Amino acid sequence: MTAGRPECEWAICVDAQTSNLSEVRRFVEQVAAETALDLERVFDLKLAVSEACANAVEHAGDDNPALEVSARLCPPRLTFVVTDNGLFRPPSLGRAAQNRGLGLPLMLTLMDEVNFVRLPGGGTEVSLSVLLDTKRARVD
Amino acid sequence: MVAQGEIDHDSCGALEETIESALAQGHQTLLLDLTEVAYIDSGGLSVLFSTGRRLRDTGWLGLVGPNPSVLRLLELVGVLVDGAFRVFPDLAAARSALSEGDGSP
Repeated sequence: MTAGRPECEWAICVDAQTSNLSEVRRFVEQVAAETALDLERVFDLKLAVSEACANAVEHAGDDNPALEVSARLCPPRLTFVVTDNGLFRPPSLGRAAQNRGLGLPLMLTLMDEVNFVRLPGGGTEVSLSVLLDTKRARVD
Repeated sequence: MVAQGEIDHDSCGALEETIESALAQGHQTLLLDLTEVAYIDSGGLSVLFSTGRRLRDTGWLGLVGPNPSVLRLLELVGVLVDGAFRVFPDLAAARSALSEGDGSP
């Protein structure tokens, strides 16, 4: 992780429901507007953060616990952190067969850094970072 | 079929139902207009892949007018090299492919 104090920090908190994913993406857009990221990198961030949230929603069950999404600008990184209090399940195990396995590969492909942390006491924290001066991932 | 807005984990069920109903009518080649789709995530991609799998031996799913970001995502996940899909820049190109009777993957 990057040492040092972030230049800026933002956060929102929503109920863990798929209907709130679009609100999370609007939040990502608003944060990204504070940087010089190009449209494709903003799309990548929206997708990766939204996938991390969708993953958390899937674990949340029916009681819609809170989902926190925070962002910090700490040049050269812009980092989003998705924190939920659900049970962590490795996204790749057993679910690829259910056709749900694209979320994690997309996060890993589109982001410059991805970090999963199982929190003491339950919950999962997913950090997704882009470097502000690099280009997007491409298939060549 | 025309999709609009954002196809995500919340809205992909509606797309799935629309496609399901087209398949139930016996269509083997489907066109999905993505011109007005700003965003698609793994939920939407899963619906596309599941449709592609079902059409693979008999027809294809045509994806029309994806914006540059959506097109790049389709490329990343392998849609562009998958014979079950065809990607067209606009409806005219898609209809032209259909009228040629080019239904083979």
